Parts: sequence; structure tokens; C-alpha cells
Amino acid sequence: MSSAAPKQAAAALRFQRVTKWYGTIVALLDMSFEVGCEVVGLVGKNGVGKSTLMKLAAGLLQPSQGSVHIGPHPAGTAAARADLGFCPDVERLYENLTAVDFVAWMLRYHGFGRRAARDRAAATLQRLGLGDNMHRRIREYSKGMRQRVRLAQALAHEPRFVLLDEPMTGLDPVARAELSQTIRSLPAQGVGVLVSSHVLHELEAVVDRVVLVHQGRLLAQGRVGELRAQLPSQPHRLRIVGTRLRELAAVLVGWPQVAQVRVHDDAIEVSVAGETGFYEALTRLGAGWDGGVHEVVPLDDDLASLFGYLVG
Amino acid sequence: MSAPRSLGFAATVVESARQTALRLRHHRVWTLVVLGAAVLYGIAWLVGYQIGKRTEADGVNAYCNLAWWLQATVVSPWLTLYLGVQALHGGLEDRTFQYLFLRPVSRVALLLGNWLAVGAVSAVVGAVGSCALFAGMADNRDLWPDGPDWRYAGDFAAACTVAAFAYAAAAMAFSAYFRRPLVWAAFFVVGLQQVVANLPISAGLRSATITDPLRRFVLDRIEPNQRLARQLWPAELNFDAETIGAPLQDLAWFVLVALALGALVYARTEYDARARD
Repeated sequence: MSSAAPKQAAAALRFQRVTKWYGTIVALLDMSFEVGCEVVGLVGKNGVGKSTLMKLAAGLLQPSQGSVHIGPHPAGTAAARADLGFCPDVERLYENLTAVDFVAWMLRYHGFGRRAARDRAAATLQRLGLGDNMHRRIREYSKGMRQRVRLAQALAHEPRFVLLDEPMTGLDPVARAELSQTIRSLPAQGVGVLVSSHVLHELEAVVDRVVLVHQGRLLAQGRVGELRAQLPSQPHRLRIVGTRLRELAAVLVGWPQVAQVRVHDDAIEVSVAGETGFYEALTRLGAGWDGGVHEVVPLDDDLASLFGYLVG
Repeated sequence: MSAPRSLGFAATVVESARQTALRLRHHRVWTLVVLGAAVLYGIAWLVGYQIGKRTEADGVNAYCNLAWWLQATVVSPWLTLYLGVQALHGGLEDRTFQYLFLRPVSRVALLLGNWLAVGAVSAVVGAVGSCALFAGMADNRDLWPDGPDWRYAGDFAAACTVAAFAYAAAAMAFSAYFRRPLVWAAFFVVGLQQVVANLPISAGLRSATITDPLRRFVLDRIEPNQRLARQLWPAELNFDAETIGAPLQDLAWFVLVALALGALVYARTEYDARARD
């Protein structure tokens, strides 16, 4: 299942028929997808191969079959690594270093001079909200602060493609909102992003598209709404708020597209099996309904529902 | 702003060495140096005091034996191997290596930087230890009728410097290849080295150790009498200067082979995949 091609012809990240074995265990099987200058969410249960996929893109692992490219460069080459930022899901950092020393050190390997690396590290940490604490040792940091350090080392050298493995972990709500904003701003700067997260509603707010992985295979990729529309066997559920709910339910239950109607105290919940003509008819009904239909809210057009339907 | 692409090979080695040395500083290594030097001084003084009661007491003999069997055979190797494993394998264990492997620099350069830093730190520690031992022995004035000759401390400091870079190379190879490098280091130092280094010279395998060329390096510098030579080199019953050969060259080969093997493995291994095996 797939929809919506990447925005750019030249993909920032390209997986071509990638398979990865660990001994006799197949971690990923025949995986092909592209990420352009956009934010793509990587979704899947624990242990389905998300981290393996991230590490293949980062060049930390080599595919057993197939190829991975960052821009025009094979993943793992120095040219690919120069263009890449990776925020790994690794708990440990260099605990005895200060954040600014650590990020500056990483920047040195990207060819920045000592002074330039330090200035850039400080500016990045400042931008990520660690300005007041950047000279403290990392071992004194909270989980959220440590996560910002990981992000800083991934973003400081202004890579063309960024991999973010569970970047929201440990962040407070304000920091999550700020990070979401940062991630959303990256494509405008010409940066492609592949981000994985367990917090699906937050991920959905950030991504242009999703790649769903299950049992080492690519299950689906595309925009959430479009993928949802491609699941005709799963009725859409709607919450309708209005007046004279019982009468409204009685009308709706007679429509051929409606599979089920449940009446609650303040709303009715409608399962729509076939969407053809349903929304037009509902709009007409609402316009003429005595007392009005106040609100129609889709209940399962989100990423979590899609994930649930596809993965079970 | 267009970002520079990457650091060159040599600059990466230097930066890696600098960062490794900075990180080793946090391993309380310098506190250990001060404490260790004090302990070594105390041991040497005590040994010298006991030996001084004998009629045939000789400060040179006592110091060389102590410096070889304690400093060059036990303290220096173990300290260097421990620091080397901490520096390289520590990062593989806690997975911080990921941050380094993401950079557009050569893994070989990173490993060489680690080796340089561990070798340099251990060389300083070894030299300080040799001098502390000598100071402890020298404070027993009865052992030095003509006054203590600090040249011997310099000779063993040089030996510890050479040993530091050789054992650091071994630590790099063990760390890159083995999951439990300290166990293999112990096997190498206690088992393999002591067996192979004491084989007859005709066996031709002794150059594959660190301790044998190192011992020849020491004997070459201190120009020992037969008695001292036999004490330091029990396998060689009749010491002959001809058998010393080219110890530095042998050690250089050892370092080269160990670093080459270590670098090869370090550059090619998928440490993330290995963690899953």
C-alpha cells in the first residue's frame, strides 16, 4: 500500500530493496522507500526493525542485500555521513564532558576549527534551550536535557538529512512542542527528516507522510488520510454532535452507507462503511436539520487508528 | 553557511588523541598516579631497607630487579591495558561509539588517536613510577656507596615508555576484536607472554611478545653483569650481548601488527549488529 510520492525528485534518503539479517534472524525484508525534503514518520511496534532501519541509514549497519543512499552517496561513506545528522536512541553520552565540549568535539570531526566548533555548539545548544546549562557536565543533566544534547549533536553541523530515533523521549510538553516546531521547520531549510516515535499523535502533527513497518516489512507508506482512505474494509467512525440525536440516528441508520449508529447522551457515533455520497448527504441533512448539526468529528482518521487497523 | 566537509586523517588522529586524553583525565588516573607513586616509593624504600642489612647489598641490582619485575612486568602492562580497554572498548560497550562513527572521519584515525593518548598517558605514569621506585631505593644510602645513579631510573622510564605504546597497541587490538578484552589481555600477559617469552631463543617466537624485546631493550641500556642478567632473564642462562638483537625493531613490528589488526577489525565491524548476536 502506498500513496503520495516524495515532494522532490532527488530523494534525500533512498532504501532500495534492503534486507538485513542478523545471523539467521531477518530484521528487515525487501524494504524500499524514499524520503525527500520532507518529514516522514517511521511507525511500528517495538522490535519490528525501526532502529535497524535507522542504523542502516546512518551507515552504522550495512544492508545484507540492497542499497541505502543519502542523497547521491551510499550510506556509511564519509560523504554520506557529512550530510547526515542522527539522534540515536542511546542512553549513554560522554558523561564527564560538558554539553558544549561534547557538541564542539563532534563538530571538529566535521571540519570546523576549534573556535568555530565551540561557537556553533554553543549557538545550537542555546537554540535548543540549553543555553544556561551548556557548561555543566552531562552526568548532571535530566533526561530531557540529555535528549537536547543528542539533538544538538545531530543538528549542529547543519546536515541535509536528519534521522531522529524517538526524539520526544524524556521531553516535557513544552519541549515537545518546541521540538515539533524545530522538526517542522527543517524541510524549509532544505533538510529531509525521518523520525520515529511511539507518541503517534505527536508524530502525526509533525510528519508529512508515514512509513509503517511491521515484522521487518514495509506495510504501508503515504499520507495518513490517504492511507486511511485505502482501507475500505474498515468503516470510518464519526462523532456527530447536534440536536434531536435520536431522530438523527433514526434517519442515518436508514442510509445504505451507514453500518452502525450508537446514541450517546451528547452525541451519536456513526460507522460509515462506504463513503460514496455520504458526506454530501450529511451536509445536506445538517443544513436542513431543525436545531442544527453542530459538529462532525472523524474518530479514526488519525495515525493511531491507522496503525491499529494495519497492525492489529 | 556552508559547512566544512570533514577533518583530515592526521588532524582526526590528533583530535581523537586529545579527546581520549581528556576523558582519561576523568578516570582519576592522575590521582592514581600520585597515590601509586607514593606506594611504589614506599615499597622500594622498604625493600631497599631489608636488602641493606645484607653484606652484598647492591642498589643497582635491587632497583633493576624491582623495576623490572614490579613496574615493567606488572604495573605498566596492567595499567596500560586497563586504560586502553576503557578508552576504546568502553565506548563500544556503552554504545557512545555511535556518535563517533556518524562523523565523516576514518575509524582507523579514531583508533590511532586512542592508541596515542593511552600510550602517552601510560608512558608518563610508567616513567613516574620508575622514578618513584628509584627514589625509594635511593633513600637507602647504604646501597649506593658512590651515590645513587639516576641513569637507571631513566633507563627504566624509557623502557616503560616503549612498553606503554606496545601494550596500548595490544589493548586496541583486543578491544576492537573481543567482547571481553580484559580477559584476553590477562591471557596474553599472564599466559601467552610468560610462556612464549621464556621459550629457548631458537624457538623464534619470543619476538612476538612485548616482554621479551622489552627485556632485551632494558639489558641493552643498563649493560648488566651476568648475575643481574640472569635475574632479569632467567631463560637465558649465559647472557650474551649478541642475543639482544634489535628489540626496538621487534617492538615496532609488534605495534604495527597489533594496530593493523585492530584497525582492520575496528573499521569493518558492525558493533551494533554484534550486540544482537
